[in-house]
Amino acid sequence: MSSFVPQEENSTLEGKKKVMYARDSDGTFARVNYGSSVEEFATMSAVDEYEFLTLEALREYKKQQASPIKYFMFKNRMDLPTLCSIVGMFCFRVKAHLKLKKFLKLSDKILLKYAEAFNINLKELKEFDEREV
Amino acid sequence: MKERFKHSQYAHCESGVVSSMLTNSGLAISEPMAFGLTRSLSFAFLPIIKVSNMPLIAYRAMPRHIINSIEKVLQVKIGKQKFTSALEASLELDKKLDDGMVVGLQTSVYYLPYMPKDMRFHFNAHNLLVYEKCENIYKISDPVFEDVVECSLEDLTKARFAKGIFAPKGFMYYVKELPRDIDLSKSIKKSIKKNASSMLTPFPYAGIKGMRTLAKAIEKLQNRDERYVKNYLTHIVRMQEEIGTGGGGFRYLYAAFLEEAKGFDLDWHKLDESCHLMVASGDALREFALKCVEGARNIGKFDAKNIAKALVQASEYEERAYKILKSL
Repeated sequence: MSSFVPQEENSTLEGKKKVMYARDSDGTFARVNYGSSVEEFATMSAVDEYEFLTLEALREYKKQQASPIKYFMFKNRMDLPTLCSIVGMFCFRVKAHLKLKKFLKLSDKILLKYAEAFNINLKELKEFDEREV
Repeated sequence: MKERFKHSQYAHCESGVVSSMLTNSGLAISEPMAFGLTRSLSFAFLPIIKVSNMPLIAYRAMPRHIINSIEKVLQVKIGKQKFTSALEASLELDKKLDDGMVVGLQTSVYYLPYMPKDMRFHFNAHNLLVYEKCENIYKISDPVFEDVVECSLEDLTKARFAKGIFAPKGFMYYVKELPRDIDLSKSIKKSIKKNASSMLTPFPYAGIKGMRTLAKAIEKLQNRDERYVKNYLTHIVRMQEEIGTGGGGFRYLYAAFLEEAKGFDLDWHKLDESCHLMVASGDALREFALKCVEGARNIGKFDAKNIAKALVQASEYEERAYKILKSL
């Protein structure tokens, strides 16, 4: 008995191949290359979900509801707990900073923490321009 | 060490790093052996812990479990260090490399530039081996990659000090001392029996019971809104197939371990039968993943009961396997 090993296209690996254990024709296990379209779909769903959230945050920014922090959070594929942990603040605070009204009142010291988390400079965060994204 | 270092590609990062590290240090331990001996086969479904707003689903033991357990089962000494300062962490790493060691690191995939961009999420428990440093570039043996890769000091430091769930805190590890002589057959038997018992736990959110609890949670998705269902189903698949070739992949890995265990004076027939059952569970889990994706692709035809059935099927194969293995 030899196992079935999928050999489908998975564009998310950029041409690289992963390995799995499968039975040879003589019954022993070996590491073999495989490609799975199931994995590709699951990965792309997660990538697309963050892209969707990023665009949604941008729309909310244009409506003067969301702050640039929300946009950058999703752009960097972070969820709220991840961002809270990176900037070292409680989630209720970070959640408040996702609103534009609150964001405009933030000190440079706080904003710098966010800029560092997103790997951008303070100016890019403070003078966020949606036309440039 | 550097000249002799041999890179291999593995199915899973932590078992791969441990296997590669020990093998390169002179103790040949295969990846299935490292995985099986440390009783790393697992299942957990913890709806109260959220990952990207989705319940935690794990198909293997917690990160660092293999590194921590291998010491005891093999009587090998592993040096382990965590850091608060990034500078100190880099200096210690360089020192170990200068001493000719290969060093394991826990990292976040998000900050590793050699990772394909679609794979870069904030997952903090990725393991890799550093085997050499040239100027400010580290030469890395990443166990899930075909070939060796490189990473700059700056990027590697970011990856080592990423924050969030499972934050690595600069964690590094290396082989300190190899055992004189080891009696593998005794350890193998003990590990198999222990792992089988833990998978048969009555606790409803772990082991085969956990798989059935997840199956029930899937059945309840039938009337939820489209986007949630799609995210839930693909989340399951990502946890299963991707985060270190999970679910199906781990079942094949364990089957390979059972096959290898046949050479150690244990009940051949029991191992053979349970090995086939583990492969059957791996196949059932792959079928389950495929059904999840089909459901997510075409929500109109989403049939929660049918998807849940495939997972229950896998749990049944595994229950039979663990009952046999427990009696080993």
